[in-house]
Amino acid sequence: MPGQGKIVALSEAAELVPDGALLAVGGLSLNCTPMSFCRELVRAGRRDLELVAVVSGMSTDWLIAAGCVRKLIMGLTSFEGFGLAPNFRRAAQAGTIEVEEYSEHTLICALQAATAGVPFMPTRAGLGTDMPALHPDRTWEMVDERSGQRFLACAALQPEIAVIHVHEADADGNARMNPKLVWFDTELVKAAKRVIVTAERIIDNAEFRAAPERTSIPGYAVDHVIEAPRGAWPTACWPEYPYDGQFYIDYQRAARDPEAFAAFFAEHVGGQLAGLDPTPR
Amino acid sequence: MSDWTIDELMVAALARELPDDTVCFNGAVSFVPVTAFLLARATHAPGLIWVASSIAVDPRPERIGESTLSDALWDGAAMLQSSAADFWAYAQSGRLNTFCFRGAQMDAYGNVNNTVIGSYDAPKIRLPGGGGMADLGCQVPRILLWSTTHDPRTFVAKLDFRSGLGWGDGGDHRARLGLEGGPRACVTNLAVMDFHPESKRMRLRSVHPGVSVDQVVEATGFDLLVEGDVPETEPPTDEQVRVIREVDPTDARKREFA
Repeated sequence: MPGQGKIVALSEAAELVPDGALLAVGGLSLNCTPMSFCRELVRAGRRDLELVAVVSGMSTDWLIAAGCVRKLIMGLTSFEGFGLAPNFRRAAQAGTIEVEEYSEHTLICALQAATAGVPFMPTRAGLGTDMPALHPDRTWEMVDERSGQRFLACAALQPEIAVIHVHEADADGNARMNPKLVWFDTELVKAAKRVIVTAERIIDNAEFRAAPERTSIPGYAVDHVIEAPRGAWPTACWPEYPYDGQFYIDYQRAARDPEAFAAFFAEHVGGQLAGLDPTPR
Repeated sequence: MSDWTIDELMVAALARELPDDTVCFNGAVSFVPVTAFLLARATHAPGLIWVASSIAVDPRPERIGESTLSDALWDGAAMLQSSAADFWAYAQSGRLNTFCFRGAQMDAYGNVNNTVIGSYDAPKIRLPGGGGMADLGCQVPRILLWSTTHDPRTFVAKLDFRSGLGWGDGGDHRARLGLEGGPRACVTNLAVMDFHPESKRMRLRSVHPGVSVDQVVEATGFDLLVEGDVPETEPPTDEQVRVIREVDPTDARKREFA
């Protein structure tokens, strides 16, 4: 079909991510996360993903609940004022997922090293904490021979795929945050080998050309575009819609009971649960 | 005036630690600090600049929502400083000078744990994670700590995991790491603490009205420094209480006391 360019149907989204992929998912906490895309991964029953999520909540909890995740590389995972992410917590405590904790900035540094094509990025972040020793092959302290300054080296981390959610995109992959909390998303886009953008709307290329100063990500940096109206729900897509607080409350309530949660999850997300041991050890 | 509640006293005590040259920002679940920033700005520190959610520069929100990383806080901002690269550049260069931490555990040197209770590989409780703590503890010179649960489970002799750096192992540890500043004060539901200038150990500065020194010492799992007579924490003034209720009309700050 002419004019389709990089556009892929949401129903085919999961085919873009193989089992075991190192996948970075954008968004920030309760904000602008590619949730519709994550739902497709759940429904497709993806397995063994190595998930990079700098500051996330619901997306990570869905993927863990459905057993899609082998390893989570993260800075923080929570529902903020709505509490701890229940499936993340349960799986981490039961040891059914591996949690590789960084901090926000050291994780960004690792992505930036990949972007720059250098083996590591130096930073003062993380010095004196227990975090570097969790993954000494990924973060280690060094001393600069010339200045004598101590710093932490963050090894390059290149996601195979990054997926982010935006307001508008065209068939060439040009993407516009309108306006939007960019936060970590552009760092993920710059570092990843392949980039998938889900968008509230696909718009005509001429609209980008009419206001090129408003384009957030150039088409050449984007491999696939997926139309996903309300694709961030239940997180917010500011300023178009807020996070769905009631969904977080209902989700937490359901998560107290395995049967109630299975029914809730099947209704609102779809796919099968991983059959996690509901009793934290 | 006696018409104040503990959350309001804590907000007022934290606000007193914020001078006029404060350029502060906040992370997740930071209802008490956000209210304190708004109180300080509306009273003694009109020059204070707050970057809401580390995104919205100097906003004028009408309320504080369920998330301190949400757009409810961004109304009236001068800028949405929306990329991580921008934010971390200003945090690292010292332009952003003040950040508030809380941890599930804190130790005598103001180091914090928000990663795990128990061992990392087989945690008894998996907490959300350190987030920006490990970064900002190193990069931001003025650190303020707060806790709504001053008890021996929170204030421990040894952290199960050091997610964020306070004064490290004490003494000149931060200086040896090449880091500026460090924690200045810790405001809890029982007391206000600061840090000994040499040893950097936590020291009792004042006890809240109705709280005894012994009570605070017993509620602290490490040896808290107590020097001489400890004064009572100044309660919030009528004006402070009025402003707190005005800037936080939906009582978001009380979420931390559930």
